[in-house]
Amino acid sequence: MRRRPLVLATVTWAYVVWSLVPVLIAIQFSFNDGKSRSTWQGFSFQWYAGNPNSVAGDPSLRLALVNSLVLATLTTLIATPLGVAMALGLARWKGRTSRAANGLMLLPLATPEIVMGSALYLVFTNLYLFVPLGMPAQVLGHVTFSVSYVVVIVRSRLVSIGTDYEEAARDLGCGRLTALRLIVLPLLAPAVFAGAMIVFASSMDDFVISAFLSPDASSATVPIKLYSAVRNAPSPALNALATLLLVGSAVALVLAWLVLRRRTGSKALEQLASL
Amino acid sequence: MRRRTGFWAALAAPGTLWIVALFAVPFYAVAAVAFGYTDPVFNSPVPEWDPRYWDLTAFGEILDRSLTGDLRPVFLRTFLYVLLALAVCLLVGYPVAYYLARHAGRRRGLLLALILAPWWVNYITRMLAWLNLLQDDGYVNDLLLLTRLVDEPVRWLSGNPVTVVLALVYGYIPFFIVPLFSALDRIDERLLEAARDLGCSGRRAFWHVTLPLSRPGLMTAGAITALPMFGDYYTNSLVSGSPTTTMIANQIEFYLLGGTRKELGASLVLLLSALLMVLMAYYLVSSRRAEEAGA
Amino acid sequence: MPPSIDRRKFLLVSALAGVTAACGSDPTRRPSAASAVPLSRTDSPAALPLHDDVPMIANGLSPESGGTLKLLNYAEYISPDVVKKFGKEHGVEVEITTFTTMDEAIAKLRTAGTSFDVWFPTPDVIAKAAVGKLVQPLNKTYLGNLGNAWPQLQNPFYDEGSRYTVPYNAYTTGIGYRADKVKEVTGYDLLWNPAYNGKAYLIDDAREALALAMLKNGSIEINTEEPGKITKAGAWLTELVDLMNIKVGVTAYQYIPEGQATVHHCWSGDMVNAQSYLPKGVEADVLGYWYPDDNTGVVGTDAMAVPRGATKPVLAHLLINHLLDNAVAQENFSYTGYQPALTAITPEKMVTDEFVTEQLKSTIVTPEVYARSQQIFQISPAAEALWNDSWAQFKAGQ
Repeated sequence: MRRRPLVLATVTWAYVVWSLVPVLIAIQFSFNDGKSRSTWQGFSFQWYAGNPNSVAGDPSLRLALVNSLVLATLTTLIATPLGVAMALGLARWKGRTSRAANGLMLLPLATPEIVMGSALYLVFTNLYLFVPLGMPAQVLGHVTFSVSYVVVIVRSRLVSIGTDYEEAARDLGCGRLTALRLIVLPLLAPAVFAGAMIVFASSMDDFVISAFLSPDASSATVPIKLYSAVRNAPSPALNALATLLLVGSAVALVLAWLVLRRRTGSKALEQLASL
Repeated sequence: MRRRTGFWAALAAPGTLWIVALFAVPFYAVAAVAFGYTDPVFNSPVPEWDPRYWDLTAFGEILDRSLTGDLRPVFLRTFLYVLLALAVCLLVGYPVAYYLARHAGRRRGLLLALILAPWWVNYITRMLAWLNLLQDDGYVNDLLLLTRLVDEPVRWLSGNPVTVVLALVYGYIPFFIVPLFSALDRIDERLLEAARDLGCSGRRAFWHVTLPLSRPGLMTAGAITALPMFGDYYTNSLVSGSPTTTMIANQIEFYLLGGTRKELGASLVLLLSALLMVLMAYYLVSSRRAEEAGA
Repeated sequence: MPPSIDRRKFLLVSALAGVTAACGSDPTRRPSAASAVPLSRTDSPAALPLHDDVPMIANGLSPESGGTLKLLNYAEYISPDVVKKFGKEHGVEVEITTFTTMDEAIAKLRTAGTSFDVWFPTPDVIAKAAVGKLVQPLNKTYLGNLGNAWPQLQNPFYDEGSRYTVPYNAYTTGIGYRADKVKEVTGYDLLWNPAYNGKAYLIDDAREALALAMLKNGSIEINTEEPGKITKAGAWLTELVDLMNIKVGVTAYQYIPEGQATVHHCWSGDMVNAQSYLPKGVEADVLGYWYPDDNTGVVGTDAMAVPRGATKPVLAHLLINHLLDNAVAQENFSYTGYQPALTAITPEKMVTDEFVTEQLKSTIVTPEVYARSQQIFQISPAAEALWNDSWAQFKAGQ
């Protein structure tokens, strides 16, 4: 019936190619048999293992990998419940304070990272002296910029669910908490999952806030290593590191998606899109 | 009644308190630095927590320089780059989101995954890959020369504003496509069918139905893309590094991370934040209006 | 014998006065961390103050073992192999925290709850660090190899009697270029030659870049505090924005061999290092480095110090002494490309050991070069602000 939208399809696939080419090139050069990240010199695994500067050979790269994963996991574990509770609360709680909280919640989304990073650095070194710089401060900082993502995503799902199911459950004698647990949370699951994924990804990707809150090399993350390498001595080991992160994240994402799809039957991936 | 409100408020409280303690308070710290001074020996900022002693000199200087001095062109340039980048995002992102929402069919999941995939590779790594591609003798120039689109290699990395704008687009366009896609996806197909039944051509249906209905999504997409672009400093320093393409966040970085007067950097942060809040407020107001109009 | 303190030898800086004069807010709210930091000059050396509450370590202690020895250094500025071997020998892990500017390093040193064992400062911040009690006095009984250093750096002007520091590397600031693309090596004018438009880079540092503009225009007063001269230098630098489409960066060792830059304001060590970044098929003779034969060049040195909060101060002394060992320094040099300021490392040796090609002999720093060249000294906070303002204007594209 409908005409095939050739122009649209071309634009879309061209865009996909454009966005993926550098990713593929970055992966390709992680297998380069030379120090260069721009001149291809043959295939090799030396930047993964074997070379003393490879991911396996350089303890500082391994440490960065571990730090990034721990940081992103902790951030996701804290920010997700915090954001879900806040989304539920803000959606149902009416009043002036609620409106203020609503506005406040949006501000971190609009704040440039450099502003947030330097501001957090100032409070951790001047006011909240009980929080040591390094992993603890980094987790607090990452949760701060992540909570809003979760709130926004979960709320849009809440709106589309409406309150009917919950009210029905309440009419049938469920307590408020029980209704939340049995009705609302399962319906929210895809959004919660999407939120958690975005939090994890943005925590893994964050350079500015991690760097401000990292006092020494023991709390360096992968992006910190990458950025300092850009300024100094980039080697294909960094591409290898990024590739490993990509593979790890992709596996985690696919597994989580499969589990979720079995349990809820909904299209979790598309829920990722309801930012 | 009161207890019910209490329950929801209690749910919202931890998150709200978190944001107050770790966002609002730190923001106050920025103000305290902007209105404080810099330790002349160690070049470290000394925040002035007590508003009674706030010193507005640095902020005044920044304001002055932004209106008439050396920061004015930087602000103008930043706005220009962000606007251009947004325009490209719109030109590329709208068709992609539209295709994805309407025509992708069975490939939809795959396409979405491909569009989101770059998110899973570190931003800096992707930019580094572009740096390789854009060298004078890189693949991009090879391709352009091969297809005779240009006669000599394009100097992409020699402080070229086009590269900066395209790099900004590349960095943020997924943020543009995704919310737009979900907005387009929510549009009820039946409305379009109705429009066609009433004799609208496909094009007219698009202009009179789809486009107005996707406005809230467009607003969100624009806001969520533009706001971080204003604060981006490393895209620019990676792909250009030339003073001719300096953006406002580069100057913030310069004053906050180096230099002898951190209060200037903090003042610039306050000024930029104020501008962004105006944009944000405009977005909130107009999206609420759009929502009301839609309802 | 404590050196007598000649008050006139100090260019005393009342930091307080400079700042409050400009602002006019309540001065009592602005206590300065140190009311006076000596500004050392080659012709008026400074003996840095000692403090009763910052003692040096006792003689004859045995080194700490276990745990982590923490270094604070520029990135890629010490050989990981040298460090790893040292750590293995003493049963410690070695961790290197990097910084990009001395301000950043000082901020890290001052952050509560962090501690570093060895820091690699530049001479212009050593006085601040000593006055501000960020570093501890060195116990020379652990530093037998100090005698290997250049004689004039065993008792340097910036730290008379080597109370807090010992020398690390020496370098000059010149112009790195592609010998295959540059027809005529015209000195500083290389960076003002439109033939290299879009392929020219400045060091991303206010003092180095503005000093370049001054030297190019015939002024060797690269530590001036006169506002007019500083502004003038800023204007000269700004010429480069339109003329050259100039860019700033600190990766000459990569951009020159890979061809991204044709002329790059850089440090001598960068061009030595560039030899290991040559793509396959590109010969080392494409690398050139120009440094003036007269007194219009900039020379610099780095130092090593032990921060006050060091948890392994004895081992820190041992590492410093280790790096002053001729053979170790040579190994370290082969990684960093920066030449240790040791007497045994002579130009002849550097060429015969193939550290540098014949063409890159200009990168070698000798005591003679050190003596005739200019140095970037610490200046007063007020002047520092002026230099930074000019640099900020340049960076804004003005």
